[in-house]
Amino acid sequence: MSVLSAKLRLRRRGWFALWAAPLPVWFALFFLGPMLLLIAMSFWSVQNYRLTPDFSLSAWSYVLSLDFLWSSFWRSYGLSLLSAVLVSLLAFPASYAMAFLISPARRLTFLGLALAPFFTSYLVRIYSLQVFLGEGGVLPQMFHSIGLSGASLLNSYTALFLGHATLTLPVVLVLQTLALGNVDRTEMSAAVNLGARPLQVLRHIILPAARPGLSLGVLFAFLLSYAEFVSATYLGGGVFQTLPILLTDLIRGGQQWPRAAVVSLLMMAVLLLTSLVTVAWAYRQKGN
Amino acid sequence: MTQPLLELHNLNKSYGTFEAVKDIDLSVDAGEFLAIMGPSGCGKTTTLRMMAGLEDPTRGDIRLEGQQINDLPVWQRETPLVWQNLALFPYMTVRENVEFGLRMKKVPAPERQRRCAEWLERLGIAGFADRNVAKLSGGQRQRVALARSLVLQPKVLLLDEPLSALDAHMSIRMQGELKRLQRELGITFVYVTHSHSEAFSLADRVVIMNTGRIEQLGTPQDIFLRPRSRFVAQFVGGISLFSGMLKTTKEGNIGIDSADGLLQIADPASAQGGTRCDLAVRADRINVTTQPGWGTNEVPCVLMSEEFAGAVVNLHLETAAGTGIVAQLQQRDLERLSARAGQQVYASWHPEDGVLLGAPALKAVA
Repeated sequence: MSVLSAKLRLRRRGWFALWAAPLPVWFALFFLGPMLLLIAMSFWSVQNYRLTPDFSLSAWSYVLSLDFLWSSFWRSYGLSLLSAVLVSLLAFPASYAMAFLISPARRLTFLGLALAPFFTSYLVRIYSLQVFLGEGGVLPQMFHSIGLSGASLLNSYTALFLGHATLTLPVVLVLQTLALGNVDRTEMSAAVNLGARPLQVLRHIILPAARPGLSLGVLFAFLLSYAEFVSATYLGGGVFQTLPILLTDLIRGGQQWPRAAVVSLLMMAVLLLTSLVTVAWAYRQKGN
Repeated sequence: MTQPLLELHNLNKSYGTFEAVKDIDLSVDAGEFLAIMGPSGCGKTTTLRMMAGLEDPTRGDIRLEGQQINDLPVWQRETPLVWQNLALFPYMTVRENVEFGLRMKKVPAPERQRRCAEWLERLGIAGFADRNVAKLSGGQRQRVALARSLVLQPKVLLLDEPLSALDAHMSIRMQGELKRLQRELGITFVYVTHSHSEAFSLADRVVIMNTGRIEQLGTPQDIFLRPRSRFVAQFVGGISLFSGMLKTTKEGNIGIDSADGLLQIADPASAQGGTRCDLAVRADRINVTTQPGWGTNEVPCVLMSEEFAGAVVNLHLETAAGTGIVAQLQQRDLERLSARAGQQVYASWHPEDGVLLGAPALKAVA
């Protein structure tokens, strides 16, 4: 009896270890290692264009004293938050339709179509947007033909937003559709049965029930837009100096990896904080 | 004659070619406790959902106090439903759940709070008002669901198997509370259940449904003592059925000529020679002996099995013709009988304990 149970215990432990083992390995390899390297590198110095291990605060004091660091920081934050909110609002009616109005089979088709752009390169999509929006492009010509200004639409927030939307809309659509699809239909019926009109059901039942998924949608759109470099450069034309642009400038201007590491750490801190606050709010529970 | 509170006229519901509810006619009086009972898929929940407006009838009328309410949007109806899974709102506190309906109907805050507090108090959940509903016990959640509906002061409360999620002990306690509430409030309850004990102990009248139709409508006693069809008899359970031709003997006795011999009946109301009839005998009216000669209707059979059910025990017998008979005995009678499975026994009953199925239940059996 005791021999058997010891054997069984060993087997259970083995099974547990089999699944648990990769977690710390992956974590160390893909998160902790790079993170420690980044922190260490922020204290290194650059001598004669060469990265030298060191313990120097010069990169930190340099970056933190830059005026345009803080302005880029707030600009990045504001622009990506605006994009995230706009993309979420744009996606919501479509997600609502997919979750509540069409059959599950059609829902899959639509979600597949929404995800199809992922099969092409993001860079290619941004380049084609450039062609659409630029001088003599499809959209300016159309505007011209109906009597509006035919000037290039590039280097504007509209162009930047379109870039952000290209990146984030499919993700937001999927997250929102899943969130709305999981709202309990009986709860919705119960609300109507207690006298709630359709708009009240949306406000008092659907939105609170789908809050975690909807908030995650905004968060992901924000995170992706915040770190976005390609459309900030090619569509925003560098007019908006965002943190990622600052980051590349720092690296290009003479191998300033420690300064870039400082900016990256600041970005990560901000994103982490934003994520934690969002998640805490999204999963907040009422009552005790 | 006062007007019925809730009326269903020729109500039908089809999903494609499947007819879930067929030609239901039903009227429920104010203050009545009506139970709708039937096997799963019989259309009882669909009927209830149509009363609540959650399903549109394919044909027919629903009237509340004489007013047709078919076309009224659900949110304008006043027919709250207590859901089988309760459907409480998990992201709201107990108080917010109870206030929900009043808030949706834009009842001013002072009145809303007063009514909410009154119902929290009445159902004994005032102490949990600011709790998250997910953290309550089954019985407490049940009370929240009731309070949430009753706070709207409806004329009729619809309940869809509300106690099925509770354990047996809690369920019996809640049955008592439901009955007390219904008496105190004087509002109409329409209560869908698959449980005989709930329906029979709570309801003033019981509807038995089968394949979308009403099979029988009557008081619990009516249905228990005088089932109208084989289906009702089998559904209610604890009944032995015999079938045969109705016949009058030379001595002037009436009975049915079954595979198990001539079984006499005492009910002359439905005596029409030559028709094929089903005879039902309740398990508690059947006497089991090891020797013959105890009764008018006596059938030799073999004891197949015993089914222990607490104070009583059900004996399953089988006649030579293969008819199954259920007899219910007290434990002490079983000990006195001292019969074993496989043994020959005799089942007997008085003619007046046999009920002809399909016979109109006009004459009260004294």
